[in-house]
Amino acid sequence: MKKRLFIAILLLTMLLPACSGKKTETNADAGSAKGDGAGTGAGTTVTAWAWDPNFNIRALELAEEAYKGEIAVNLEIVENAQSDIVQRLNTALSSGTPKGLPNIVLIEDYRAQSFLKSYPDAFYPLTGHIDADDFANYKIEATSHDGEVYGLPFDTGVTGLYVRVDYLEAAGLTVGDMTNVTWQEYIAIGKQVKEATGKQMLSLNPNDFNFVRMMVQSAGQWYFEEDGSTPNLEHNEALKEIFRVYKAMLDADIVKLNSDWSQFVAAFNSGDVATVPTGNWITPSVKAEASQAGQWRVVSLPRLQTEGGLNVSNLGGSSWYVLNQDGKEAAAAFLADTFGSNVDFYNTLLADVGAIGTYKPGIAGDAFDQSDDFFGGQKIYSDFTSWMADIPAVNYGIHTYAIDDILKVEMQKYLKGEDLDTVMASAQAQAEMQLR
Amino acid sequence: MKRLKSIAAYVFLVIAALISIYPFFWMVVSMTNRSVDVTGGRQLPGTYLMENLNNLFGQVDMVTALGNSTLVAVISTLLTMLLTSLAGYGFHVYRSRRKDIVFNVLLLSMMIPFAAIMIPLYRLFGRISQVAPWIGIDTLAAAFLPTLTTAFFIFFFRQNTGMFPEELIEASRLDGLSETGIFFRIYIPTMKTTYAAAAIIAFMNSWNNFLWPLIVLQSPAKKTVPLLISNLGSSYAPDYGMIMSAITIATLPTVFVFFLMQKHFVAGMTGSVKG
Repeated sequence: MKKRLFIAILLLTMLLPACSGKKTETNADAGSAKGDGAGTGAGTTVTAWAWDPNFNIRALELAEEAYKGEIAVNLEIVENAQSDIVQRLNTALSSGTPKGLPNIVLIEDYRAQSFLKSYPDAFYPLTGHIDADDFANYKIEATSHDGEVYGLPFDTGVTGLYVRVDYLEAAGLTVGDMTNVTWQEYIAIGKQVKEATGKQMLSLNPNDFNFVRMMVQSAGQWYFEEDGSTPNLEHNEALKEIFRVYKAMLDADIVKLNSDWSQFVAAFNSGDVATVPTGNWITPSVKAEASQAGQWRVVSLPRLQTEGGLNVSNLGGSSWYVLNQDGKEAAAAFLADTFGSNVDFYNTLLADVGAIGTYKPGIAGDAFDQSDDFFGGQKIYSDFTSWMADIPAVNYGIHTYAIDDILKVEMQKYLKGEDLDTVMASAQAQAEMQLR
Repeated sequence: MKRLKSIAAYVFLVIAALISIYPFFWMVVSMTNRSVDVTGGRQLPGTYLMENLNNLFGQVDMVTALGNSTLVAVISTLLTMLLTSLAGYGFHVYRSRRKDIVFNVLLLSMMIPFAAIMIPLYRLFGRISQVAPWIGIDTLAAAFLPTLTTAFFIFFFRQNTGMFPEELIEASRLDGLSETGIFFRIYIPTMKTTYAAAAIIAFMNSWNNFLWPLIVLQSPAKKTVPLLISNLGSSYAPDYGMIMSAITIATLPTVFVFFLMQKHFVAGMTGSVKG
């Protein structure tokens, strides 16, 4: 009987290695081995983590095709959801176990500072590999720490106001009436459109502060002072104005509330809203409803009536980072040769993926001058890139999403009738408590 | 009056059943619709089933993920049941005051959330990788090793061992059966129903496990189904028809295991253990 138990245990221990399968050949030789140039596919293996197969992953694939550097690079792209990348990076870096981490990782700009500050030695500075002046100013601010540039800026989240021409016309208005307006004017137009068509002006999710973040940056402000860690809420005039605008929009009954991303997309795909103020990355989702071709235009974002309020802003966007481990030189060289300097590559990126880069010499090519029939022949990409140049640079700090959570609660209090200064003071106190 | 009461009860139950089954209905229906229709809230079956499935199997490696998940779930379920039932049996049959203290300490470990031990655990596996790469980071074995012996299952088996008649043990000892023999030849066959219930829970836990596999499995070839589904929703323009197809497929094995084990489960409820 004991024999049988022994055999059973023996079998189990043999099973364990079996499920580990054939490993090691993938990342065993990541790094160290200098590329021998001549060999095809025998170069340094560089692993990259990114999300979205149609956007970031595709961009990496195009970069691999475009790469002509001296060090032979074997790019291995691993697709991960963004939240999954954040979780993995945090666990691996805070446990001090870099095994299995990639060479290149995509990080959203809002989260970049928290990684750079929390794990100062984990990332490899790219200052010597790229020329920071070549990139949109606001991107460099987001990807730098202690005077070094750590991220190679990738896509822009330059914003625009997507508008339905047919709804505007039904209200006796033109696209020109929506151009370079303030949010107050926007609300007034919204009422007219609602009266004429019965359609709401925009769709908002009270639990998603994309809208607020977009507006804050349009005034050159953020949730923090310039140091990126002192909360700046109580005396932040831009933020207060946003709260007022938000309430005014709800009071005017021009908002269709949504509770998640799919409802947000549905709101404009089904024709329930007349405008979509958001980042340019929404373009493919707008175009997904082919029956609305020709009805959409993109104009500049409405501005806040505060000091420094502009008709441009940014929402989201991310950048490439190199981890400070074996293979970093090859990874940095790969990025520098493609995203960091290749003008033609950026043309391909736009034509193939619809990605607008933030590399200034790269955004002037032919692809950016194309007109788009879906948008009534408008050259939307050249519009987006011209707005991009004016996006105010702000320090996103290390706690953007934590402040979001605080403000969401305070916003609801304000909408229920509490005094604006009181809720902002409360938000400030909470932020100082939590983020000390 | 009595009839009226039962009608009311039925109406209530029917409504409750409809509410709980609705998400499943919508999931299956959405599997046959385009992404635009799904976000638009279409409730009727469409004609895009094949297209969604083709997209799913064409764009992502669903087959590998299903294989990985099955391998991990089956092995971890079997090992969990063997190890935790041995422990539970031991705690109950060879009871002593000191063992009870050990058991209570073990129960306390149920209070510690996984997130709290995640980072030390990852560190541990980082070390393991250096000496035994075949069970280290980025291996399927690493995905289930930490969850094999949970206090919950040891507790579960210890409690259920109370139903196991001690007389059987004594009789077996008199007949000259060894202690391990009693466990494997008397205890396991008698406690089939307990094992069935544990198997359902263990399989579901393993099949749906997300956080730890997410951290420890890194290469695409090692992905399990929950990790793959998490990826599908990550794009700026997610394809909801495809995601719903993947989720429907991911739900099937759990349903299958439940119905397979249900017979034993029910048999256990009607009392198969004779004193």
